[in-house]
Amino acid sequence: MFKKADIILVVIIIIVAAIGYAGITIYRTAAANDVKIAEIIQDSKVIRTINLDALKSPLRIQVSGDYHEVILAEKGRIRFEDADCPDRICVKTGWLTKVGESASCVPNRVMIKIKGESQKVDGVTY
Amino acid sequence: MINKSENIKNGNSLTKTRHMVFLALMVSIALVLSIVESWLPVPQPVPGIKLGLANIITVIVITFYGYRDTLMVVCARCILASLYTGGLMSFFFSFTGGMLSAAVMAFIYKKASGVFSLTGISIVGAVFHNVGQILVACLIMKDITVLAYLPVLLVSGIVTGFFVGLCSRFFSDTIRKSGIINKPYRSFAKQSEENLK
Repeated sequence: MFKKADIILVVIIIIVAAIGYAGITIYRTAAANDVKIAEIIQDSKVIRTINLDALKSPLRIQVSGDYHEVILAEKGRIRFEDADCPDRICVKTGWLTKVGESASCVPNRVMIKIKGESQKVDGVTY
Repeated sequence: MINKSENIKNGNSLTKTRHMVFLALMVSIALVLSIVESWLPVPQPVPGIKLGLANIITVIVITFYGYRDTLMVVCARCILASLYTGGLMSFFFSFTGGMLSAAVMAFIYKKASGVFSLTGISIVGAVFHNVGQILVACLIMKDITVLAYLPVLLVSGIVTGFFVGLCSRFFSDTIRKSGIINKPYRSFAKQSEENLK
């Protein structure tokens, strides 16, 4: 049922996946202390940027287009709260909390991602 | 039922009709499988992962007919499936993924079917299905951060590909035993006969 080549193949795929996963994790932990800036992108244009760390109260944003989405931003996190697209993968993705994470609604070509911006020195007090 | 000797006497046209009917059956089975799959509450650790039951049919057609028929079946399946689900966007996804995986599987089956088992080939197919879909997502969103999903999708491709491979092996054994297709089987027939013994 299983041949030797199959097992080698599976091992190679797992190694590739592990390397990719490790790379992404390293990138995200390196950027963990950055200020979290959420970008809402539609049709590859940034339609809104939110500084998640500076957010005081929850913010709801409506996005229209072929479908409609409600994006909910809170302090330090953001998610698609509701969508009327057929598969609702964007809503199922859940909260984005770390720099580098993204969620997308491909049918509506809307994407949110968290970008890191290194801390500015003038925020530090002595 | 028409038995084998009659079929040979009647010659080419009957074989052609059988061929066409078989492919049409395969398209319809693939459609039903993808509908049934959307009903199944498959646990989704990561959104977007699908079992890909329709790939069973792709593997079956590859084992019994060549890559041309396979691409035709996949093409027909994607067009028909987009009529009752999601529309244009899901068509692009399933079409690119389906075509890429079918082409890769057919190529490996032709060149290296002795090296890989049917399970291995379907794992490659599932992985390439996912790769194709991620590439489409990258193109549509014009953003490469979508690629961050790839490691998870590679591993899920192994799992779903293994399952699909098992299913298609049982399915092709059944078809072969039932004698629906009386054409000489390509290299896998021998192999699964050995397995049955």
